[in-house]
Amino acid sequence: MTDAAEELKQALNLAGDAVRREKDGSVRLVGTECNDCGARVFPPSDVCCECMSENVSALPLGPDGTLYSYSVVHAAPKGWTLPFVAAYLDMPEGVRVFAHIVDADPDSLTMDMAVEATIAKLGTDEDGNSVESYAFRPVSKGDS
Amino acid sequence: MREVSVIGAGMAPYGKYPEKTLADIAWPAVKQAIEDSGLEKKDIEAAYCGTALGGMMAGQRILKKLGITGLPIVNIENACSSSSTAFREAYIAVGAGVYDAVLVIGVEKLTKFGGGTLPLEKEDWEVSHGLVMPALYAMRAKRYMHEYGLTEDQLAMVSVKARKHGALNPDAQFRKETTVEEVKNSRPVADPLHLFHCCPSGDGAAAVVICSAEKARQAGADAIRVAGSEINSGKYMTGYRDMTTPEITLRGAKQLYEESGIGPEDVDLAEVHDAFAIAELLYYEALGFCARGEAAKLLEEGETSIGGKIPVNPSGGLLSKGHPIGSTGVGQIVEVVRQLRGQCGDRQVEGAKVGLTHCTGGGVSGFDHGVCSIHLFAR
Repeated sequence: MTDAAEELKQALNLAGDAVRREKDGSVRLVGTECNDCGARVFPPSDVCCECMSENVSALPLGPDGTLYSYSVVHAAPKGWTLPFVAAYLDMPEGVRVFAHIVDADPDSLTMDMAVEATIAKLGTDEDGNSVESYAFRPVSKGDS
Repeated sequence: MREVSVIGAGMAPYGKYPEKTLADIAWPAVKQAIEDSGLEKKDIEAAYCGTALGGMMAGQRILKKLGITGLPIVNIENACSSSSTAFREAYIAVGAGVYDAVLVIGVEKLTKFGGGTLPLEKEDWEVSHGLVMPALYAMRAKRYMHEYGLTEDQLAMVSVKARKHGALNPDAQFRKETTVEEVKNSRPVADPLHLFHCCPSGDGAAAVVICSAEKARQAGADAIRVAGSEINSGKYMTGYRDMTTPEITLRGAKQLYEESGIGPEDVDLAEVHDAFAIAELLYYEALGFCARGEAAKLLEEGETSIGGKIPVNPSGGLLSKGHPIGSTGVGQIVEVVRQLRGQCGDRQVEGAKVGLTHCTGGGVSGFDHGVCSIHLFAR
């Protein structure tokens, strides 16, 4: 298995169908959109939270979003790598996502800045396995 | 709905009692409430017990200690609003004429978890990705600071005020005053929140007896009327939410003020859900004690301290009195009842006639809070 595929397999353990890697290597979060009323939601749901329709489709998000708020977290249950940056990201499709921010000096973060989805190790489970999922990082200029 | 009053109030001081059972923490509060009511235990027709993490049949475990059994006992979980929800349900039952006299208990023993952040439901999506309550409030704080220019010193002043009040309350977990510098230099938890910006983990219980007007007269009690009662769940929102506006509190307060005919200007004191320092400031605005963006000014001018225009959390609040979560709702009601009766000694809000309690419960993705219950009391 390639590193990328292995990485994604691990991420799926925590995030399931809520994340996927595109052919160009970029990471996309995936929500759902209701085919009847158009309501959008993240994480994916089998039923529409507006009209209760079960006629819903996968909706790829972003990949870029904006940073609504964040905090450097020093206290969390055992297993999470501390400190970590917790954040709410607003995706252009109109949904808000909770995620960790990685690959960034917290002092360099600013409200409403552009961030992009990635996959990162967030902690370690009780059996010593790496816990990985989607995360966000500042959009790197010139990096496609 | 017929008139309903609180006629008895009891508290077990908040603190850390790892060696005691939940029942042993709670029964003194229940006994105190019944003795205070002037009723006998045989007059109690039903009991409602709120606890979030106390386990099955908490009410039965507590009440068997006092031989109050064989009556309907209902146990209620609604996160940090468990016992304010229990109070609301009891209020409806007495108001509807189902019962004349009912006991309401709030209880929690958090020391059984050994400290740390409050254990949340792991099936929740954001919790499964590492969300903890301090981080949620920290992000509210960060955004509020960004939008309204709240300073770190002002945020710390919330805790300083809470501790100043708590120092006067024998039932409070923290009875030592603090300073802005000490708050800012305490251990970082989730920036901008430090340890002293966060309510402590702990144990405790509170109880009240409520009854009909006729029963109150029979008991010869110093009755405090329930002047308004509301509960709401949060609105699930998948989109962009303004985290500086606690929508559920705003909506609930509006509804309660309209229904009761009592406005924020009529409220003499309030016990609000200051689980973290930022929360108290957001609630000044949501409850209508000041305009948007003016919370820090209201605090700095001393208006929310004892002696000010609208003292908030004269008990010390969750930050200083403590937050054994299932106990908090009834604990707030006990404080307001004692304030309206003039029983609060050094922390007495002089001439208080109307008091408000406000209790939320959170920790579920997509909600401002999962639940919020607000009550008004008058004498």
